[in-house]
Amino acid sequence: MKDVYSTGEPNRPESYGAANRDIIRVLLKPSAAYFAMLFVAVSMMLFGVWCEYQQIRWGMGVANIKHPTMWGVYIVTFVFWVGIGHAGTLISAILYLVRSRWRTGVYRASEAMTVFAVMTALLFPVLHLGRMWQNYWFFPYPNQRQLWMNFKSPLMWDVFAISTYFTVSAIFFYVGLVPDIAIFRDHSKGLVKKVYGLLSLGWRGTHRQWHHYMAAYGFFAALAAPLVLSVHSVVSWDFAMANTAGWHSTIFPPYFVAGAIFSGCAMVITLLMPLTYAFNWHAYVNIWHFDALAKMCLLTSAILTYAYGMEYFIGWYSQNPYEQAIFFWRADPWADYGWAFYIMVFCNCVAPLPWYFQKLRTNPWALFIISIFINIGMWFERFNIIVSSLAHNFDPATWDYYWPSWIEWGILIGSTGWFFTWFLLFVKTFPAIAITEIKEMIPPPLKGSLEAK
Amino acid sequence: MSSATGIRIKGIYEHLDCLLTGIDRLKKANITGWTVMAPLPRHEILEIVYEGRPSPVRWWTLTGAVTGMTIGLLLTSLTNTQWPMILPGGKPVVSLVPYAVIMFECTILGGALFTTLGAIVHCGLPGFFLDKAIQDPRVTDSSFGIVFTDAPTGDQAKIEAILRDSGAVEVTSGDATLYDVPNN
Repeated sequence: MKDVYSTGEPNRPESYGAANRDIIRVLLKPSAAYFAMLFVAVSMMLFGVWCEYQQIRWGMGVANIKHPTMWGVYIVTFVFWVGIGHAGTLISAILYLVRSRWRTGVYRASEAMTVFAVMTALLFPVLHLGRMWQNYWFFPYPNQRQLWMNFKSPLMWDVFAISTYFTVSAIFFYVGLVPDIAIFRDHSKGLVKKVYGLLSLGWRGTHRQWHHYMAAYGFFAALAAPLVLSVHSVVSWDFAMANTAGWHSTIFPPYFVAGAIFSGCAMVITLLMPLTYAFNWHAYVNIWHFDALAKMCLLTSAILTYAYGMEYFIGWYSQNPYEQAIFFWRADPWADYGWAFYIMVFCNCVAPLPWYFQKLRTNPWALFIISIFINIGMWFERFNIIVSSLAHNFDPATWDYYWPSWIEWGILIGSTGWFFTWFLLFVKTFPAIAITEIKEMIPPPLKGSLEAK
Repeated sequence: MSSATGIRIKGIYEHLDCLLTGIDRLKKANITGWTVMAPLPRHEILEIVYEGRPSPVRWWTLTGAVTGMTIGLLLTSLTNTQWPMILPGGKPVVSLVPYAVIMFECTILGGALFTTLGAIVHCGLPGFFLDKAIQDPRVTDSSFGIVFTDAPTGDQAKIEAILRDSGAVEVTSGDATLYDVPNN
C-alpha cells in the first residue's frame, strides 16, 4: 500500500515482460462489479435511446427548447463533452512533446476518454437538429441547387473543428495502440488472437517499423497539440461571435480552453481512480499522477475564477446596459438561474481549493469527490452561459424561463451511459495503460558488454 | 510470394548492449539484409541502424498539410464565389480571415491523414502475410532479435558466429524460400 500513497514516481516493474503481464491481466474474466457497472451504463444508454425515440416520434416539442431559448441542454451537453475531451489530447500530445514523465501512466486512458467524449459530443448537434437523418446538411457536398455552406459562420467552423479533432484524436489513439495490441495478440489464443492480429496490422517491432512509427507519432503529437487550443476556441466562437449579451466577449477562447482542460483533468481523476484500485495498477498509476492532475485543475480553476471575475469587471467597466444587466441578473440569487450560477462558482472556484493542501491532493477520496464536483460545476458553467443569456436577451417582452423536459434529461443521462459503456468496454479489451511507453521508463536489460560506439 | 533463395537466420538477445554489439559487428563485416526486432523503440538501436537519417514520413506530413491548406482555401473561396452571398455584416464574398479557421483545420487534417498514410507505407503495414517464425512473441515481450530473411548461403556460418559471439542466447536458421517477409 506504500506505493498507493507515495507522492513520488511509482516503482516500475523490473522487466519488460513483467510490465506486459501486469497490464494483460485486464483480459482475465471480468468481475461481478465490472458487469454491474456495465449494466448500469448500458441501461442509462438505452433509456437515452428511448427518450430520443420519443423525440423522433413526437417531434421537437417534447423538448422544452423554444423561443427565445433555442439552445438548451443539448448544446450545453455538447460543449460539456467536447471540453471533457480536451485533457486527453493535452496529456497525450502536449505532455508528450515536453517529455513529461507523469504522462506515461495515464495518457492511454485519457486518450480513450477523449475519443469517447468527442463521440458523445458529436451526438448532440445531430439530436438537436430534430430531423437527424438530414445531418449531412452540416457538411459541404455538391447539390443540384449549387447551395454551399456559409464558411463565414462560426457554426461551420465548429463542424470543421470538431470533425478534425475527432479524426486526429482517433488516429493518434489508434496509432499509439498498435504496438500494444500486438503484445495482446502474442499473449492470446484462437479467435481472440486473430482479432488482435487484425487490429495490430501485423506489427512486428522491426527497426524499420519503430523508426517510421516514432517519426509519425511525433508529428501526430505536433499536429494534435494546436488542436487542444483551437477546438475549444472555435466552440467558444459559436457564442462570442454572436451579438448576444453575456456571450460577445474576446475573453471567451482562453476562458473556454482553460475550462475544458479543467473539466477534462477532473474527469481523468474520476475515471482512473476507481480503475487503479479495481485493476491493481499501482505500479503504473499512483498518487503521483493524481497529484499532478490535481495541480493542473488548480491552475485552470484559478484561470476560470479570474475569467468569471473579469466578465463582471468588463460588464461594469463597459457601461453597456445590456452587458451589465445580464451579468448582474445571473448573479442574483433570487433570479431564475441564480442557483445555477452559485453551483458553478462553488464547484469550479471553491470546491478545488482544498487541493492547495498536499494532504488532500494526495488523498484518494478527496481527489475523487472533488473531481465529481468539478464535473458537475463545468456542466453548470455551460448551462449558465448558454441558457441565461438566451432566456434573458435584449427584449424583455421575449424573456422566458427554460427548464429541460424529462426527455432532455433522459438524453443527457443516455449520453453519460453511452460514454461509460464505450469506456468500460475499452478498459477490458485493450491496454488502458500504454505498455510500450511504460517499457521506455524501465532501464533496459544490459550485460555490460557494449562495444558499439 | 518471395523470390528469396537464401537462408533465414534468427538471433534472439536478452540484453540491449549485446544486440547493439551484434548490429555493430554485422555493419563492420559489411553484411546487409538484416532486420532488428525490439519490444520498444530504443533510440540506441535506431541511431546505430540509421546513423541519424530522418524518416521520410516528415515529407508526407508536409505534403498533407500543404494540400489540406490549399483544399481549405479552394473549398471556401470557390464555393462562396459560386454562391456569392453578401452578408449583412458587409464581409466581402471571399473573406480570408474567417476562412483561416477552415484552412487551419484542413491543414491539420491533411497533415494527420498523410502522416498516417506515410507511416503505413514506410512501416510496411498491414503485414498479415508475415513469417510466423519471425513474428516472435518473445520480441513483443522482453527480448530483442536480429533476423535475416534472405542471407546468402555462403555467409551462414559467418553470420551465425557473429550473432553467437555478440551474445545471442539463441541462433536458429532455416529455409527462407517459403516466406515473404519485407526487408529493411
